[in-house]
Amino acid sequence: MSQNERSNPEAPVQGQARMDVAWGANDGDETEASAQTAQAAASGEIFEQHYTPWNGTLNPRWMRNWAILRHHVLGVFSKGHRPWSMPTRIFILITFLAAMGDAALTLVSSLFGESELHTIFGVSRDNLYGHVLGFFPRNTLYYPLIAALLVGGVISEDRQHGTSALYFSRPVSRFDYVGMKFLAVALIQAIVVLLTYCLYFLTEILAFGRGWAWMVDVFPMFVAGLLAGVLLIFTYTSIGLSLSSVSRGRFFPGIGLLAILFGTKTMASIVKNLFEREVLYLFSPYDCLAHVGQTIMGTQPTYTQYPWTYSLVALIAMNATALYVLATRVASMEVTRE
Amino acid sequence: MSAPDDLIIHTKGLTKSYGPHVALDNLNLSVPRGATGLLGQNGAGKSTFLKTILGLIAATSGEGSVLGYDIQTQGPAIRQRIGYMPEYDALNPSMDAIHQVRYSGELLGMNPKVALNRAHEALQFVGMGEQRYREISSFSTGMKQATKLACAIIHDPDLIIADEPSNGLDMKTRDFMISTLNTMVHDGQRSVLMASHLMDDVERVCDNIVLLHKGKLAAQGRIEDLKAIDREIEIHVWGGASPLEATLKDRGFRVRREGRVMRIAHTEEDTTSHILQAASEVGAQVRKMHEYEASLEDLFLAIMDNLGYAVKSSDDLLNNPVEARQVDAPRTMGGAGS
Repeated sequence: MSQNERSNPEAPVQGQARMDVAWGANDGDETEASAQTAQAAASGEIFEQHYTPWNGTLNPRWMRNWAILRHHVLGVFSKGHRPWSMPTRIFILITFLAAMGDAALTLVSSLFGESELHTIFGVSRDNLYGHVLGFFPRNTLYYPLIAALLVGGVISEDRQHGTSALYFSRPVSRFDYVGMKFLAVALIQAIVVLLTYCLYFLTEILAFGRGWAWMVDVFPMFVAGLLAGVLLIFTYTSIGLSLSSVSRGRFFPGIGLLAILFGTKTMASIVKNLFEREVLYLFSPYDCLAHVGQTIMGTQPTYTQYPWTYSLVALIAMNATALYVLATRVASMEVTRE
Repeated sequence: MSAPDDLIIHTKGLTKSYGPHVALDNLNLSVPRGATGLLGQNGAGKSTFLKTILGLIAATSGEGSVLGYDIQTQGPAIRQRIGYMPEYDALNPSMDAIHQVRYSGELLGMNPKVALNRAHEALQFVGMGEQRYREISSFSTGMKQATKLACAIIHDPDLIIADEPSNGLDMKTRDFMISTLNTMVHDGQRSVLMASHLMDDVERVCDNIVLLHKGKLAAQGRIEDLKAIDREIEIHVWGGASPLEATLKDRGFRVRREGRVMRIAHTEEDTTSHILQAASEVGAQVRKMHEYEASLEDLFLAIMDNLGYAVKSSDDLLNNPVEARQVDAPRTMGGAGS
C-alpha cells in the first residue's frame, strides 16, 4: 500500500499505519538508530537505558567560580544561562543607551562646533561627577532601578526554588557562592555605570582630538570618578544582596532597596528643609556616596554641616552591616531542605 | 581516618549536637559499596547525617570518611566525587533542562563544552532525552526528579546520595526511577545511598540499610540478613486453630495468630515437622504452609518496636540469634523487649 493510500481517511487501520503514527513517517528512517528504536518499540520500551561512564577531569576552584560568574553575567545577553527576566534585560539596554546620553551630546557638540553645548555636556569635573553620582536622572531613574532589578532574585530565588542545594552540594563554598554573585551583579551594573563613563571619556578624546596633555591633566579626575562609581556599585550591591538574602522572592529585595535609597533621602530632605539640619543625610546611602564622591572628585560640596569623613564612616558602617547580614543569611542556607 | 576499600562511608563515634540537642549520637557506621537505604522517621537525624558526611557541617566529635576522604577536613573533595539528589525542588523553573544540568556540571568544575555533552548523555539516561530543551516550569514531578538525578550523575560520581528519589511519583514513574537507580548500581557499578520513607522502594534498590532513630543507629546491615533474624512459617489453619496454637506454645514455639493465619518462629530445621505433628494431634487442617518472607516494612516496624536497646548489627544478631532475640524482640513477639 502506497503512502497516499495509507493516508486516505477511508483506508483500513493496520499495523504499519499505527507504527507511522507512533514513530513518525518511515521515510528516511532506515538508519541504524531508527532500527534500534523499532526494535525497542516491539518490546514495549521507549528506549534502551545504558549508563555511560565518564572519566574526565574536574577543574579546580577558579573554574567553578568562573562558571557562577559567567552564568549570571551571560544571562543578560543570551539564553542558556541565568534567566534574567525580560523587563530586567530591556531596562538594562534602555539605561545603557540613556547613560550614553552625555557621550552622544558631546559627539553632537563636536559635530556642530557648539561650545555652549559642550560646556553643558562635555567632559568636565562636574559632568564626570554627574555621570556617576548625579541625582537626577541617573540616581533616581537609572542606577537604583537597575540595582533593584538585579538584586531582586539573585539569592532569594535560590531560597525560593531550592537551587542553593545545587551549589552547596557541590564543592562550592559559601564565600565563593556569595562572592561570585556579588561580583556578577556588580559587573552588570558596571556595564551601565562605568563602561558608559569610559565611553563618555573616550568620546571626548576622539571627538575633540584631545592630546596627551589634556589626558594627563584630566586623568586623576577620571580615576576619581571611577572610584566613586565603584563605591556606588559596591554599596548598592551590598545593600541589595543583603535584602535578597533575607527574602524568598524577587519583589521584596528590589522594593526594599528602592525604599532604603529614596526613603532615607526624602526624609533627610524634609528634615533639612524644615529644620535646616543635614545630619539625617548620614542615614542616606546615596547622600553619603555623593558627599564622599564630591570630596574625591573635588567638586563643590553640597553638604556643609559635617565633614566628609562622617559620610565615609557612615558608608563603611552601612556596607559592613549589609555584608554581615548577607554573610549570616547565606551561612544559614540549607542544602538538604530550606 | 582510613577506611577499608570496600566501605564507602565509615564513621566512628560521630556526634553532632546543636546546644543541648543531640542530632547524631555516637554513630558507628560502615556502609559498603552498592546500594544502601537510609531509613528513619522524621527527626531521626537523616538530614544532619547527610550534611555531616557531605562535609557541610562540622561534627561535634568523632570521625568519619566518605570514599576515603575525611569528612572534617576534605568536604570539597567529597562533594566533588558524590552526586547529591535533593528531596525538594532544586531546579530553576525558568531554565531548560539541558542548561540546568550543564550548569550543575560546571559547578563541579567541568569545562562548559564537556558539561554540555555530558548533560545530553545524563538526560538521555534518565529518560529525558526528548524533553531536554523544555523549560523546567512545564515539567511534571517525575520529570523534575529525573532532571535532578541527571544533575547528580553528570560527572559520573562514585556515590549517589538520593534523598527521597521516588517521592510524589506515580507508579509508572516510580518504577522507572527505581529501575534507573538499579541500572546505575548494577550496570554502572556505582554506589547509592538512598534516603526514603518508602520501604518498598528501598527494598527494590538496596541490599543494605542503615536505620536511624533519634540520632542513634538503630540497625545496619544486609536486608536479607536482618530479615533472617525473624524468619517465620505461616500456616492457614482450618478447624482447631486455638488448640494448635496452645500446643505449639506448650512446645516452646513463638506463635503469632490472626484468626486462621498463624506465624510460627522458624528457629529449628524441623519446625515444619513439629507443626504438622501438632496439627495431626489436635485434628487441625493445615491448608497452606509456607515460609513467611518479611518485608522491609515488617523489619522496620520490628526494629522500631525495640528501640531503646543497644544497637545490633546483623552480624551481632546472626552470631548469637537466641540471645539477641531475647534482648531485642518485643514482648508481643515473645521476646523480652518493650
